Amino acid sequence: MTHCDADGPHEWFRRMISNCLQYARAAHAEGRPIIGIMCEFTPREIIMAAGAVPVCLCGGSAATIPAAEEHLPANLCPLIKSTYGYSVLRNNPFLEMASLVVAETTCDGKKKMYELLSERYPMYVLELPQKPHEDSGLAQWCETLRRFKAELELRFGVPITDEALRAAIANMNQERRLRRELAALMKADAPPLTGRQLLDFKSRVAGMERDLVQLELALVALRSQTELPARQNRVRVLMTGVPMVHGAEWVLDLVEDHGGLVVALENCTGLKPILEDVDESSDDPIHALAVKYYHLPCSVMSPNDDRLNLIRELALEYRAECVIELVWQACITYDVESYRVKRLVQEEIGVPYLGIETDYSVSDSARITVRVEALFEAVLQRRRSGSPAAPVSAVQEARPDDKT
Amino acid sequence: MISAGIDAGSRSIKVVLLDLDTHQVLACGQTNQGVHQEALAQDLFLHLLEQTGVDQSNLRGIIATGYGRNLIGFADTTVTEITCHARGVCHTVPSARTIVEIGGQDSKCIRLNGDGTVRDFAMNDRCAAGTGRFLEVVAARLGVTLDALGALAKHAKSPAHISSTCVVFAETEIIGLLASGAAPADIVAGVLIAVSTRVGAMAGRHVEDPVLFTGGVALIPGMVDCLKETLGHPVCVAPEPQFTGALGAALTSASP
Ligand code: SF4
Ligand code: SF4
Repeated sequence: MTHCDADGPHEWFRRMISNCLQYARAAHAEGRPIIGIMCEFTPREIIMAAGAVPVCLCGGSAATIPAAEEHLPANLCPLIKSTYGYSVLRNNPFLEMASLVVAETTCDGKKKMYELLSERYPMYVLELPQKPHEDSGLAQWCETLRRFKAELELRFGVPITDEALRAAIANMNQERRLRRELAALMKADAPPLTGRQLLDFKSRVAGMERDLVQLELALVALRSQTELPARQNRVRVLMTGVPMVHGAEWVLDLVEDHGGLVVALENCTGLKPILEDVDESSDDPIHALAVKYYHLPCSVMSPNDDRLNLIRELALEYRAECVIELVWQACITYDVESYRVKRLVQEEIGVPYLGIETDYSVSDSARITVRVEALFEAVLQRRRSGSPAAPVSAVQEARPDDKT
Repeated sequence: MISAGIDAGSRSIKVVLLDLDTHQVLACGQTNQGVHQEALAQDLFLHLLEQTGVDQSNLRGIIATGYGRNLIGFADTTVTEITCHARGVCHTVPSARTIVEIGGQDSKCIRLNGDGTVRDFAMNDRCAAGTGRFLEVVAARLGVTLDALGALAKHAKSPAHISSTCVVFAETEIIGLLASGAAPADIVAGVLIAVSTRVGAMAGRHVEDPVLFTGGVALIPGMVDCLKETLGHPVCVAPEPQFTGALGAALTSASP
C-alpha cells in the first residue's frame, strides 16, 4: 500500500480527481485508450473488456458554463452546459486524453450537444430505445451494444472476448456491491456517514482497483465503528431527481447543513445505477449487460414507472421522513416527471415533498434554504405530534412567469 | 410567561408580545426596515417592553422570522415565515385552509391540513411582479404614498391592461400609459389586477376555503377584492395582517 492510500478511505476519495488523473495518465502512457462517458446507460464493462479506461466526463462546475453558452442556449440544463464548457475551454484533462467519447440518445439537450461535441472530438453515440417494457426495445439495445463492441474492436484493434467481458462484469459488480453496502449503512437510526460523505465514495474512473480496496476498507471501518455520531435528531431525507455530479453537490450540502440527513439518494450519482448487478453466469455477456443497463429508471424512459416504484421502496427501506426532488433548470424530462413523483410522495407514501429547481450557481441558496427549513419544520411538527402520515408538500415557485 | 415574535421583513420589522398563558397579544409595533436591522428590531422590542411594563425575566422566548431572521442576534431561535404565517392565521381563524401572503418582496400561498399544520406551499421570491414591490414602484412613479394607492384605484373607470410580467418593464409600460393620457386611477387598478393575477397563478387550482389574506399588502384597499376575483374564492383579510408572521413566531414558543 502506498503512502497515499494509508490515510484512510475518506482522504483517498477526497483526492478522487487527482487519483483518477494519475491512473488515467499512466494508462494512457501505456497505450491504453481513455474513453469518455457521460451517462449511467453506458456499459462500462465493454469498454473495460477492450482494455480501455472508461472515465466520466460529466461537468459539475459553474465556471465552464459561460464558455458553453458561446455555442449553446442559456436555457439548457447546467449539467450539459458545464460538460460542454470544458470542451470549449479545453480544460478537462480526461476529455483531452480521450481517444473516443461514448454517449447515448437520452435527453434532447444531450443529444444535440453531442452533435456539436462530435465536430471536435471522436464520438460514438449509442441509440437508446426508450420504452423500457417492450421486448423489441431490449432486443434493439442488445444489438446496439453488439455493434458498439464491434466498433471498439475495429477502432482499437483488440478482440473483446467473453472472458474479458466476464472479468469486467465481475469487477463492476464488485464495485456496485461495495457502494451498495456502504449506502445500506444509512438505514441505521444513527448512520455512520452523512449523505455527502457517502456521495463522495465514488470515482470518475470505473472499476479502479485501488478504489475498490478503499471502499472495502471503508465498509469494514464503518461497520465496526462503535461510537456513532448522534444523528437521530436530523430529518431523514430521501433525495431524488437529477444527478449531482462531482462539484455540483451544493443542494445536498444545503439540505444537510439545515438539519437534514440524506439517507437515500435515488439518482444517477446515488443508488439508481448500483442496485442491479449484471448476471455473471450468462453465456451471452452482452445480453446480460443489455438487460442491466436497459433497466435503469431514468426520466428519459417512457413510461418510467420503475423510478416511482424505486422511490416507494427506498422511502420505506430507509425510513425517509420527507422527499426532496432536485431538478436542474431546463431538464424537461425530470421536471415533467416531478408531478408524478410529488403525487406519489404526498398521496401514497404520505410524507412531505419539496421540489427544488435550480442550477449550478449558488445564488439561489437563500431562497432554497427557506423552503428546506419550512419543510423540516413541518416534518418535526409531525414527529412531535406523532401524527399519522398527513401528506405535506411544497413546490418551489421558481419561475412564476411560466405559469401565467 | 411572555414570548416575543419578531418578523424581520424586507420593508418593515414587526414585533408582537404575547402572553403565553392567556394567548393575548400584549403589544405590537412596526418600524421601517433599514441598514442596522438588528438595532432597529431591538429598539422596537425594548420600546414595547417598556410600554407594557413587561420584565425581561418574564420572557420565555424571542423568536425571529422573515427574510432577515438570521440577522436578529438577540433572538433565541428562528422559524420560517411559512410556519409562522400558518401559526398566526390558525390562532385567529382555526378553520383556515389556505393562506395567501403578499409581502414587500415576496408572496406565498400556503395550504393547511385540518389541524393547522402546513400541507403545501408555493413561494415566489424571485420575481417582484407578484409582490408589494410592484405597488411601491407604481406609487413612486405616480407620486402618491402607498397608503393612498388603493384609495386611488376606487376611482378607476376602466382598469389599464398591464401586459408586462416583469416590474421593470411594467414601469416602462406605465410611463407610456401616463404619456398617452391614461388616468392614474385606471393604472393603479390595472396594477392591482396584475399583482393578483401573478399570485393567483402561483396558488394554482388547489385553493381550499376559507382563504385568509395576510402580509402588509392585504391592507391596501381594493387588493382583497382583486384577489377574490382572480382566485374565484371568497377571501378574508386576516386581522391585522401585517402582524400575522410576528404573532405566529411568538406562538411557536408556546408549543414549538
Ligand atoms: S439521469 Fe438519465 S441521462 Fe442523466 S446520467 Fe442518468 S441515465 Fe443518463
Ligand atoms: S439533468 Fe436532465 S436535461 Fe440534464 S442531462 Fe440529465 S436528463 Fe438531460
